[in-house]
Amino acid sequence: MPGLEGVMSSGVIRSIAVAIDCSPHSRASLEAAAEMAGRLQAELVGIFVEDINLLRIAGIPFAEEIRSYSSTTGKLDEGQLERLLRLQAREAQDLLQRTADTKTLRHTFRVLRGIVPEEVMAAASQADILVLGRSGRSPSCRKGLGSTARSALYEGDRTVLLMRPGFTATKGPLLVLYDGSGGSKRALQTALDIAGPESTIHLIVLDHDPEEVERCREDAQSLIGPAGIAAEYHHLPISAGKQLARYIKMIDTGLLVLSDRMGLPGQELRELVDDIDYPVLVVR
Amino acid sequence: MPLPEKLAPGKLFNRCDPGQFGFETTAELDGTTEIAGQSRALDAIKFGMGIRHDGFNLFALGPSGTGKQSAVLHYLGGLAPGSPCPDDWCYVYNFEKPRHPRALRLPPGRACELVRDMEHLVEALFSVMPAAFSSEEYQSREKEINESFQEQQGTAIEELEEEARKHDIALIRTPGGFAFAPVRKGEVIKSDDFMRLKQEERDRIEAEMGRLKDALQSIMAQIPKWQRESVEKIKELNRDVAGFTLKPLVAELKAKYETLPEVVRYIDAIENDIIGNFDQFLEKEASPQELFMSGGPSKHGAKGRFFIRYRVNVMIDNGRTKGAPVVLEDKPASQNLIGDIEHTSQMGTLVTDFTLIKPGALHRANGGYLVLDARRLLLEPFAWEALKKAIRTRQIRIESLAQLYSLVSTISLEPEPIPLQVKVILLGERVLYYLLSTYDPDFTELFKIAADFEDEMERSPDNHLAYARMIGSMTVRGKLRPFDRGAVARVIEQGSRMAGDSTKLTTHLQGICDLVHEADYHASEAGRDRVTADDVQAVLDAQLHRAARIQERIREAMLRDTILIDTASERTGQINGLAVYSLGERSFGRPNRITARIRMGKGEVVDIEREVEMGGPIHSKGVLILSGFLGARYAPERPLSLSATLVFEQSYSGVEGDSASSAELYALLSAISGVPIRQWFAVTGSVNQYGEVQAIGGVNEKVEGFFDLCRERGLDGRHGVLIPASNVDNLMLRSEVVRAVEEGQFSIWPVSHIDQGIELLTGMPAGEQAPDGSWPQGTINAMIVERLDVMAKRQKEFGSEHDDEDKKG
Repeated sequence: MPGLEGVMSSGVIRSIAVAIDCSPHSRASLEAAAEMAGRLQAELVGIFVEDINLLRIAGIPFAEEIRSYSSTTGKLDEGQLERLLRLQAREAQDLLQRTADTKTLRHTFRVLRGIVPEEVMAAASQADILVLGRSGRSPSCRKGLGSTARSALYEGDRTVLLMRPGFTATKGPLLVLYDGSGGSKRALQTALDIAGPESTIHLIVLDHDPEEVERCREDAQSLIGPAGIAAEYHHLPISAGKQLARYIKMIDTGLLVLSDRMGLPGQELRELVDDIDYPVLVVR
Repeated sequence: MPLPEKLAPGKLFNRCDPGQFGFETTAELDGTTEIAGQSRALDAIKFGMGIRHDGFNLFALGPSGTGKQSAVLHYLGGLAPGSPCPDDWCYVYNFEKPRHPRALRLPPGRACELVRDMEHLVEALFSVMPAAFSSEEYQSREKEINESFQEQQGTAIEELEEEARKHDIALIRTPGGFAFAPVRKGEVIKSDDFMRLKQEERDRIEAEMGRLKDALQSIMAQIPKWQRESVEKIKELNRDVAGFTLKPLVAELKAKYETLPEVVRYIDAIENDIIGNFDQFLEKEASPQELFMSGGPSKHGAKGRFFIRYRVNVMIDNGRTKGAPVVLEDKPASQNLIGDIEHTSQMGTLVTDFTLIKPGALHRANGGYLVLDARRLLLEPFAWEALKKAIRTRQIRIESLAQLYSLVSTISLEPEPIPLQVKVILLGERVLYYLLSTYDPDFTELFKIAADFEDEMERSPDNHLAYARMIGSMTVRGKLRPFDRGAVARVIEQGSRMAGDSTKLTTHLQGICDLVHEADYHASEAGRDRVTADDVQAVLDAQLHRAARIQERIREAMLRDTILIDTASERTGQINGLAVYSLGERSFGRPNRITARIRMGKGEVVDIEREVEMGGPIHSKGVLILSGFLGARYAPERPLSLSATLVFEQSYSGVEGDSASSAELYALLSAISGVPIRQWFAVTGSVNQYGEVQAIGGVNEKVEGFFDLCRERGLDGRHGVLIPASNVDNLMLRSEVVRAVEEGQFSIWPVSHIDQGIELLTGMPAGEQAPDGSWPQGTINAMIVERLDVMAKRQKEFGSEHDDEDKKG
């Protein structure tokens, strides 16, 4: 019953929170969030957190800033920091405003002050999905997840979309991990909710048993069919994190959709999310 | 002195017998022509073209229309195809010095091949380069290098972060960089809490943070170096990939041009440049063909201009040239000779590049022959100097005149000069040759050979035939009707008339060519399929008629006695002289009344023309000769006691030349002797101090001028003209005159001495001078001496009376 599915799906995601700090990752997050909000008629909630740690550094008597452009040092001034944070907040708001205006989205913007991961999580608790960058402004520019993304993945209970630049959330093909579990069904359903009409769903069925695989396909098809979205099935008789990551890279699609409540062990799932360089939607 | 016989009709016109020709019409001739009567010039041309040495260029001199150009081109037409074909030349980009485009020499026909090869190379690069750089292998290697840099940077910072964490210190990103801060449970310690710490603890944290800060600074100092290394690695990778991709294409090209080291060096330079600029081939703005060929900045922006550097500007393509080139440059302006650098407008600014270098006539003629008209060359500003410089330095250096004289101030080029080996042939009038020889020291150095073209040639059966062949070739070239032999003979006779000599033919072929065309037109109007003598004669009559307006007005004035010319009576001290008037290319003769009056005086002959500055120096000289003659002949040992005045009556413009001096002398002798002159004669000829009559010019026009007037008034058999005997060979008179002489209505007298002339003019004998200087009684000379004696005596008497009165006084 496509009609019922449509009603049900639009009822699932009504509010999308997005953390904005004006970094390239967060810009990608905002774009993705706006795409989804546009498709689902959901509200966009922009969150900017003034990092309390930064302000506190200014209070430490001998703490100094080492400037990245000249490698020279200078005392951090609290007033100057406040001004800079206000400026960033305004910039984030402007960005949200512009993005929302082009798609005529309902939106709100909140500025919070505190420890960034905590504040983001708290602010997102009311939203149905939290969208944030895979990494933020961490000093080492490392490949893996940033501290906020890590917190959201490890500690949060909300569906979370970890974005990175160079991808879109809903316009391209979506890769869904499916093992027939309730979690993976939710993941597939969410993928179908956010997928655009031109999108393709690549479904990776994870199971060793060929019969199970067939059953999973039928289950999945019963969900996909009514949505009228093209689907491609892949069968992968393994579930080890590293191999799975390689396979996902080989298929080379866009957004990876999975659930942390499927058959995949929590640790492997985290390693997978940490390892692959694609945006990931973790459905809960 | 015996009187001369009047000339027989046969002497008045040298007829050309059509029967001498073996053809009916010129259509039977083969249409080829050989240059006749110019053996001197042809030898010079042959010598000049044969000698391969600097400075042996040729100046063909002669009046215009004498066939200099035809002769030179005809000779070169036979010589050039057998000479070796010169190489191709093109300009290419100079990768080391872009302002100095390089000149490349290639065997004939290969320059265009190089153009095509370069087009194909660039076209191929647009597909192979993007393919190579988008290959998975390249992408992963590039990503790996980038990531290795990121990792190097990340690892160093992460290690420091880890180190800091051990001491409860966090590395935090600030808006402008990094900062270390003491943390507790993942949060930065608040300042109050920090101040509550023990002093030792605070000191420890401070020391630790100081150490960490130093460590971070040293890492940050290394980051640019790592970045450089990483960039260098990527560059190296790009070079390798581009070089590898390019190699097979370039190798193919090099193999093709391996015998041409210059071209191989150019291909090497291109290879290096493409490797350095491989990225230009990756993004496609337009089709490679368009980018390569257009170079239009407006269309494809800076990128389009970039690809111009791989183009080849062919200056000379001798691919289809047979033998050495023969170039006739009709407009020898400087830029047409040595080439030019054109500019194109880009956003209102003039820009140029090596593809805008334009070849000149010297480029086209390089290795062959360049034929130029000297007058046109000298009229073009800077062209003469440019040509001399090119010949002297034996290279073509293209210089923009505008740039040279700072007329424009914009980017310009200095193309590499191209070696020059050319024979330059200048065609011009004699005066130009002599002026250049006198005033330009370079000229004789650079143009050592002069081919002097004759104005006329001998009339001989061979040359008659040569004329016929020439007429034949003119009819073939001009697609005209053939000339029958009568017409050819009539043209030959006109050739003699144009030469002003019955024994010569004019080499002024332009005039003959015009006559041939006009006669053909006349024949076509008459509906004939061949041109006859009547057509030629009709054209000549028509030419005369067309040009005769002024002549007829003057004659009309004479008939109405507005201009007084007596052709019937006898008058003392009055004679009909003959003058020639030239109007453009046409000239005509007319009689002019000359009068002489005498009175007692001191022996001077006053030339009224000279007194009023209407007489030219030659005319004045002629009159002064008369004084010499009179004094020496009639009063060698006593004073000449007369004063004579001479004047051209009704002359309102200047008089020049001495052809009237014999007439003036006759008038003077008549005035002194009191013997009248027969006005039905006209006289021409100059005279020397011994009374010998000398040749003059324009004898035909003068005779015809007097004839026309007498005919209008009615010929009565007495009318005639006295001409110098030495001018008889120049007579080529109109048929009417000849006919009148044949009928005894008109006569022409060849006179060689004044005594003959005065006898004819007065009907009184001149007499022979006795050894004692006396003249026989009853002769005109005796009368002159008597009159002079009388005048001398009167003058003496007058002188002594005057002296007596003075003494009395």
